[in-house]
Amino acid sequence: MSSGFLYSIGEGLRGLRRAKFSTFVSIFTIFISLAVIGLFVVFIFNVNWIMTQIKSRMELEIFIDNSFTKEQIDTLRSQIEEVAGIESVRYVSKEEAAEVFRNEVGRDIFEILDDNPLPPSFQVKLRPEVQTSSRAENISDQLANFDGVDEVLYRRDILVILERYFRLFLIISLGIGLVLAIGSIFLIYNTIKLIILSRRSVIEIMKLVGATRRFIRRPFIVEGVIQGIVGGTLAALFFSLLFQILKTEIPELIVVTQAVYPILIILGALLGLIGSMFALRKFLKY
Amino acid sequence: MIQLSNVTAKYPGGEGIELVSLTVEPGEFVYLVGPSGAGKSSVLKVIYRDIIPQSGHVVVGGFNSLTFKKKQIPYLRRKLGIIFQDFKLLMDRNVFENVAFTLRVTHTRGVEIKRKVLRVLADVGLSHKRLKMPYQLSGGEQQRVAIARALVNEPIVLLADEPTGNLDPEAAEEIMQLIEKINSKGTAILMATHDFRLVRAQRRKVIKIEKGMTRS
Repeated sequence: MSSGFLYSIGEGLRGLRRAKFSTFVSIFTIFISLAVIGLFVVFIFNVNWIMTQIKSRMELEIFIDNSFTKEQIDTLRSQIEEVAGIESVRYVSKEEAAEVFRNEVGRDIFEILDDNPLPPSFQVKLRPEVQTSSRAENISDQLANFDGVDEVLYRRDILVILERYFRLFLIISLGIGLVLAIGSIFLIYNTIKLIILSRRSVIEIMKLVGATRRFIRRPFIVEGVIQGIVGGTLAALFFSLLFQILKTEIPELIVVTQAVYPILIILGALLGLIGSMFALRKFLKY
Repeated sequence: MIQLSNVTAKYPGGEGIELVSLTVEPGEFVYLVGPSGAGKSSVLKVIYRDIIPQSGHVVVGGFNSLTFKKKQIPYLRRKLGIIFQDFKLLMDRNVFENVAFTLRVTHTRGVEIKRKVLRVLADVGLSHKRLKMPYQLSGGEQQRVAIARALVNEPIVLLADEPTGNLDPEAAEEIMQLIEKINSKGTAILMATHDFRLVRAQRRKVIKIEKGMTRS
């Protein structure tokens, strides 16, 4: 490492010690922002996971023409299995349908009617990638066109509602995250501004004795990045603690990957870098 | 070595210098005299490129104003030593660190820094006070520290802007003697002052400046 770089780090730390209060405020803001952003990310992960669970349980019911023979039904089955996006197809015979009726209604169908009017059906599961309202509709339309298919039923309304709320939730989270990130950048900008102003004389002397622009600016960048890293590390510690508590309280909570810790720290450093660059551009024209 | 030809450099308010010409040769001692506000500091600032001339031609060391780029400012200033009336020391660092500062910002190695700083502190007679803080020193001593800082990079010229302006007569005399000693060792001096009594006329070039213009 060059002596110039070590010098920049030394000067950076010195500057932070001088502007203690504003340093504390910006570190704290970065910590809070990253913690809140992180909480949203965890929440989004979990909501997404729950949604996937709900969606994966969803099935398409294909009712078959009552007059279809066994062979015709087999042909239809192989036709359905060839449709892209279909994960599994299960045949529900008339008898099975009557059994389901008895279980759900509590009475035998033959007590009400002489004949079993329930048609045979296929219960079709979709692959995860087509578990969206538009793709499901597409497949349902395709299936409805097959010969011998009377009707295709599925809970499209649930899919639509889930998708709409998830999108809304995502937009709100991103909005809040963005506002917090901008807030942190502004506070770092302010801290670096104060440090620059308090070091006017040092900067003036540096210029006089022939320091390069890069050399003068570097300690301030170091200061911004250090604040960011400290804030990010605090947020990472906060999360590891939070997850440990949550794991004992709600074991089914899915913990976001370990990658979240380095990402928080890198994100903090990035916020610090952007904040100090803005301050330098405004207050250190050299 | 330093050459200004018909240089005009005005501030937005209209103050500054107009059609100023002067030369400083290697090893020469040049006085720049005139009343306060005459433009002496502006001449020095043009030389160390703190203000950019609107017209005329400036040559300092190997740098020529016609081809000069902003990026070259630090490298120009490394060839110059500059001292001021108000010393401009770093109050939170001791004498040694104030002088070493010049070398640190120009990426000199640690061993080299120590050697050079101790030598230049000996030259200005402050070796024994190298660990004192600036506020523990008298005005004259503070100016010696500033001179040491200006000299540690072995400049081609020492630019002195009213170096005795804040000092009592005795301290002023000591500083003048020190500056003359530096000149006698070969460093050129360009000293701006409003105090004609400081000008020691023998074989010295004196440039008068009034209302921003040089008079012969």
